[in-house]
Amino acid sequence: MAPRLDLLDPAEVAHLGGIEIVAEGVVEGFLAGVHRSPFRGFSVEFTEHRAYQPGDELRYLDWRILGRSDRLFVKQFEEETNLRSMILVDASRSMAWRGSVDRLTKRAYADRLAAALALILLRQRDATGLVTFDEQVRQLIPPRVKAGQWTRIVKGLLDTPDGLGTAAHAALQRLTALLARRGMVVLLSDLLFDRELALAALRYLRHRGHQVIVFHLMDPAEVELAGPPEVRFRDPESSLSVVVRPRELARAYAETVRREIAAWRTACRRHGIAYHHVQTDLPFGMALRLLT
Amino acid sequence: MTFINPLALLGLVAAGIPALLHLLQRRVPPELEFPAVRYLSAAERESARRLKLRHLLLLILRTALIVVIVVAAARPLVRVRGAGGGSHEPTAVVVVLDNSPSSGAVVDGRATVDRLRVAARGTISQTTSADRVWLMLSDGVLRGGTREALLASVDSVTSGWQRLDLVQAVERAARLANGQPLPGREVHVLSDLQRTALSEGRAAVPAGVRVLSLEPGRAVANRGIADVRVTEGAALIDLVGTTADVGQGAAQPVPVTIRIGAGRDRGEIAARGLATPGSAVTVALPAQTFAPGWWVGEALLEADELRADDRRPFAWRVAPPARVTATPGAGEFVAAALGVLREVNRVSNGSDVVFTSGDALSGERIIIQPPADAALVGQANRALASRGVSWRWGSSATPGPLAASGLPVINGVQVARRYRLEAGGSEEQEGENVLATVNGEAWLVRSGNAILLGSRLDTTWTALPATPAFVPFVDALANRIVRGEAEVAAAEGAPHVEFRRRGADTVGATVFGPDPRESDLSPATAAIATAAFGGRDRAEVLSDKAFASERFSGTRRTDGSGFLLVLALLIGAAELGVATRTR
Repeated sequence: MAPRLDLLDPAEVAHLGGIEIVAEGVVEGFLAGVHRSPFRGFSVEFTEHRAYQPGDELRYLDWRILGRSDRLFVKQFEEETNLRSMILVDASRSMAWRGSVDRLTKRAYADRLAAALALILLRQRDATGLVTFDEQVRQLIPPRVKAGQWTRIVKGLLDTPDGLGTAAHAALQRLTALLARRGMVVLLSDLLFDRELALAALRYLRHRGHQVIVFHLMDPAEVELAGPPEVRFRDPESSLSVVVRPRELARAYAETVRREIAAWRTACRRHGIAYHHVQTDLPFGMALRLLT
Repeated sequence: MTFINPLALLGLVAAGIPALLHLLQRRVPPELEFPAVRYLSAAERESARRLKLRHLLLLILRTALIVVIVVAAARPLVRVRGAGGGSHEPTAVVVVLDNSPSSGAVVDGRATVDRLRVAARGTISQTTSADRVWLMLSDGVLRGGTREALLASVDSVTSGWQRLDLVQAVERAARLANGQPLPGREVHVLSDLQRTALSEGRAAVPAGVRVLSLEPGRAVANRGIADVRVTEGAALIDLVGTTADVGQGAAQPVPVTIRIGAGRDRGEIAARGLATPGSAVTVALPAQTFAPGWWVGEALLEADELRADDRRPFAWRVAPPARVTATPGAGEFVAAALGVLREVNRVSNGSDVVFTSGDALSGERIIIQPPADAALVGQANRALASRGVSWRWGSSATPGPLAASGLPVINGVQVARRYRLEAGGSEEQEGENVLATVNGEAWLVRSGNAILLGSRLDTTWTALPATPAFVPFVDALANRIVRGEAEVAAAEGAPHVEFRRRGADTVGATVFGPDPRESDLSPATAAIATAAFGGRDRAEVLSDKAFASERFSGTRRTDGSGFLLVLALLIGAAELGVATRTR
């Protein structure tokens, strides 16, 4: 039995090939593991019946057929293609960091997750686009459903270099103008920027009727502080540096990170924004499953 | 504080290592890229105060750990109090071992001196070559020497015959200890702490000298013979004993036995009587059964807890009454006194002894008063010189009281008028023959068979004829002094009698025995003893056990390295706890 790539360690999966191969493998595995459409558009249409299989959700049972023929059938639907999805990938310098060579950088993880997500959406015939940004928008691929869209998205990801600083609110504000029609906005970022300014932009998108989903990506080394007995940590995006003893600051740091995550989650929930905290050692399939 | 390995203290330089490492580590930390620096900054801001305190605490703990280990390696000797082993700082210690007669009392089946000896041995055994030790027994002599020699001295100590005044002894011992340039100075008083051994006043104990006294044992009842005075036909026996209530009820009369004679002349029991302790008893002696001469006797009690005072000797002069006459010049007071003495058979009529004045010097033994008329003094002096008397009357001298060590009955009697007695011989002979003085000048002297008085025995010259002492004085002149005999003297020592001789004649005796105060075994209270030995800040009265633990405790030292190593372990554990608590 072939292993499901969506459930393997992301770094190991990344060794199998480029973004396309990885994304396709992940999506194949992911879709084989779910028995219903992972994403729902604004409307769906019935297409056909099929025999019930163990594991199918009971809500899709056709009770009329069951009542007439005493046989179990489930209804299958085909989603409409009017869902417009825009995937926003943070390409700032901080995203190009990893705490261990055994893991993907946050950016690499985000690229593969974005490619996989785009493939799923496009297979559902949803118009899907891409925006990469750091201090400014680097790539903008409008949402389309036509053939070759996924290739363009992947190319857009590959063509976006690692940036310097992060000015997410500026990029997000620009996006609000680009996303005139309602749709789904998925943000993949380490959220190392001003929370209030970024939330203001996300709130605006939400206000415009968009479904907003935030993936907060963190390397495990950012969650649990470690390192030499004494070290000077330098922020790659700014000149800020600090000398600490990781052992003695670990507990306070973990508490600070926990509070930060909680603050993001609370703020997003307050404004109807879906928030997911994802560490880069989480298999892609598990990350995608957060959306179902 | 002293150290066994002081060179190890050089390791204290290592105490700077934690601070040095701290500084060095802060200088060149490695630099790493870390995107979430904003979280780090926030965490550090919130923890800054706690971290600073922790760093400081760790620095202190690590420095203290090194210091404690280094000091432990130097093996410090620290002062300790209370029981336990360990050495002590050099100490000057004077052991006052009171082996006075009362120390022979048996308490609970054991002689007190044995208990005191054990304590003394304990003290001396604990001394080191750095200490200076003296041993004082009841003879008051301070004995120095090596520890072994002093231990041998202690082992040979038995109950003695001399009384020790503890206040004076402690004062002397404290003065000696205080004069030693040593860190510790102690006086150990090992005594039965008789109340009577503490004279009035308080010992002057210098600051810095500790006086440790063993508390007394249980008080026991005792009775003893304080004194035996023998007169014509009777012995007056004074009894003494423990005055404290020792739970045996009222003192009961005890039988007293008198024995006279020794050796081949050993007399049988001569007389018996009953006496109550604290009182006196008179026992009749059949003088007519004893030949004239000096006799030695002893008074005996039944044996009790203290044997030393159950027997006391005495010397008894058995002699016929002197045959005495008085010339008219001797005066009416002398004539009256002789009349009294004749009535009680102390003198008889005869001319062996003649009371006279300077105007008539006939007789074998003469007692001469100055002439009443001053104009006759010169003639009288010439008569004295012609008789071979080496003394003469001089000019009139100042009035004053009489002082006579051999004639205590006339001590203090006032003399209003007198002639200065001037000697013609050497000063040494003068001193031997002066029997009484006034204002330091001779008043009563002997010269051969003549006794010379500085005053007439008349109330216009001296108050003596008007006092009760006059008849005994005339008796002593006639029966003893004119014959050259001295009064029987008493002295402290093992019970025995020593005679004084002049040529072939026995002229006196000294009776030795224990001090009567030794018979009262009532102990002093701890408060009284403490006060007598310098007060509470200088002296302590302790039980045997407490005494054993407290001696040298003021300067006792023990190796503190064990304690320090335990402390180092605790500090190490604390350091580990603090260091790992936030990891």
